[in-house]
Amino acid sequence: MTFEMGEETRIVQGMWDISTYQYMIDGRGMKLLVDSMKEKKIRGIKCSNCGTVYVPGPTFCRKCYIDCDEVVEVQDTGEVMSFAVEMADVRGNPVEEFKLTAMIKLDGADTWIIGTITGIDWKDARIGMRVKTIWVDEPVGSLSDIDRFEAI
Amino acid sequence: MRDVGIIGVGYTPVFVSKRKDVNISEMISEAVDAAFRNTNLTPDDIDAITYGNMETFEGVNMPHLWGADHCRAIDKPYMRIATGGTTGMSTLHSAYYHVASGMHDVVMAITWEKQSEGDSQVGLGGIVMPEAVCMAQFGMDLFGGKGMGAMGGGSTGAAAYQATSYLHHSGASPEHIDKMAALERSNAALNPYAHLRKKTTVEDIQATPFIAWPLRFGHTCPTSDGATVVIVASGDKVEKLADSVAWINGVGCGTSDPATGNFIEGQITDPAEQEAAKMAAAKAFAMAGIKDPKKEIDMAEMYNGFAHQSLMWLEKLGLCDEGQAHVMLDRGALNIDGELPTNASGGVFSTNAIGASAMNRPAECALQIMRKIEGGHQIPKKIKNAVSHGWGGMFQYVTVTVLGDEPRHG
Repeated sequence: MTFEMGEETRIVQGMWDISTYQYMIDGRGMKLLVDSMKEKKIRGIKCSNCGTVYVPGPTFCRKCYIDCDEVVEVQDTGEVMSFAVEMADVRGNPVEEFKLTAMIKLDGADTWIIGTITGIDWKDARIGMRVKTIWVDEPVGSLSDIDRFEAI
Repeated sequence: MRDVGIIGVGYTPVFVSKRKDVNISEMISEAVDAAFRNTNLTPDDIDAITYGNMETFEGVNMPHLWGADHCRAIDKPYMRIATGGTTGMSTLHSAYYHVASGMHDVVMAITWEKQSEGDSQVGLGGIVMPEAVCMAQFGMDLFGGKGMGAMGGGSTGAAAYQATSYLHHSGASPEHIDKMAALERSNAALNPYAHLRKKTTVEDIQATPFIAWPLRFGHTCPTSDGATVVIVASGDKVEKLADSVAWINGVGCGTSDPATGNFIEGQITDPAEQEAAKMAAAKAFAMAGIKDPKKEIDMAEMYNGFAHQSLMWLEKLGLCDEGQAHVMLDRGALNIDGELPTNASGGVFSTNAIGASAMNRPAECALQIMRKIEGGHQIPKKIKNAVSHGWGGMFQYVTVTVLGDEPRHG
């Protein structure tokens, strides 16, 4: 093909600063979750109609489209539904330490969360693997009260 | 509904990383002019225009109105579409609805992205920005990955989780992703409108580092500058205006649970499940009178930001049984001269001007049916039925268009 790029045109800098936007977020389910984490527990919301357990909990069931507020506790153990091993940044530069992260379905929950798994060679990771939550020593009511997950 | 056909396609002369010689509207006008040149039509023949891109990728609001003159849209009905990765095909579907409904006879669909002018990571981040900030306020470690998080998979995001899940459930190996990547890059080398045009071997792909296992650098798409314009017409106008046509026989789209996003309300599900793809394909095939897509579809153009996705979509769309796409790959069935040539163009994986990416899929099918492919990737066999696919949103929005050499209805 005979295509030749023309001369470079003028470039002007611009900025669209999304940090100036103010978004409204209910956050009830998050508050419920982190409050329970202070006790090393994990709580979500169950739909009274279909029984789906969401963690963190929503204000309504997306399948039944009804309000839901039934608080349920799920286990801090679960199953790996999928995983990935972070090895390089987007430019291909290797990271110092490979990191095994996974989508985890906690026992008793129907939705998945994401966490880092340690204590296992990444080559041994597999879907269906059982994991348990490793809590920090002194939880404060924060998502970081879960330090990591370990293979059982 | 009326018969609607694609009667012409116009691409920008190239799809590349940076078009520094033209601005957005100037770039788009190149594809608009090409569409007129390729159809021998003039702006007077066009009744209405649809237009698609993602505004946050360049940070230009209402680019269609800014560029109305370059798009030859002055004094015409004009509608802008933005549905994420699927934008290109949604813009075509909108043009289809304009004509099938009887409202208009000849409609031009304009799709583009000029990613070098913006920051697509900022644009993508905008999708989940409020939730990510909320998670951070509740103590999520945004960068270290400690504790319970919402985002993972490293630089490839949830695509790596999708790939792992797909490999597990299909029985394919990571080497099949390498093989699909090499096939598509080599197809792209034959396509003058592809961005990454280098004949590539499996060994070349395997020499690239893993970003997030099982995905390598060589499994990921580029970001491109480029535009694609398609002109559609009603059956009677096709007879009067066109020397060749590819009929739009079926359209479908579907939405399911976001596999990423809304994670502050427990909304993370299997990114490889893709119920929306099954829903959209079933609708489009039924509309096109396709009873057995495994037998009746002659070629496929799949939306694949990552190389594993071509294989995954073939299964989700019902073009082969679950777990069979990699078997077809191994026996050469997906090659340009195979039973089901898949991404003969090189796919999104080789050319990705996002707003145009899901338009290039049906555009390539149309050019294959009309046997107007420029370059070396014309499929040798006659194409009676072709399927094209778009994917995006928060991993959960899918569009499907079935094209044919004759009008067919279910």
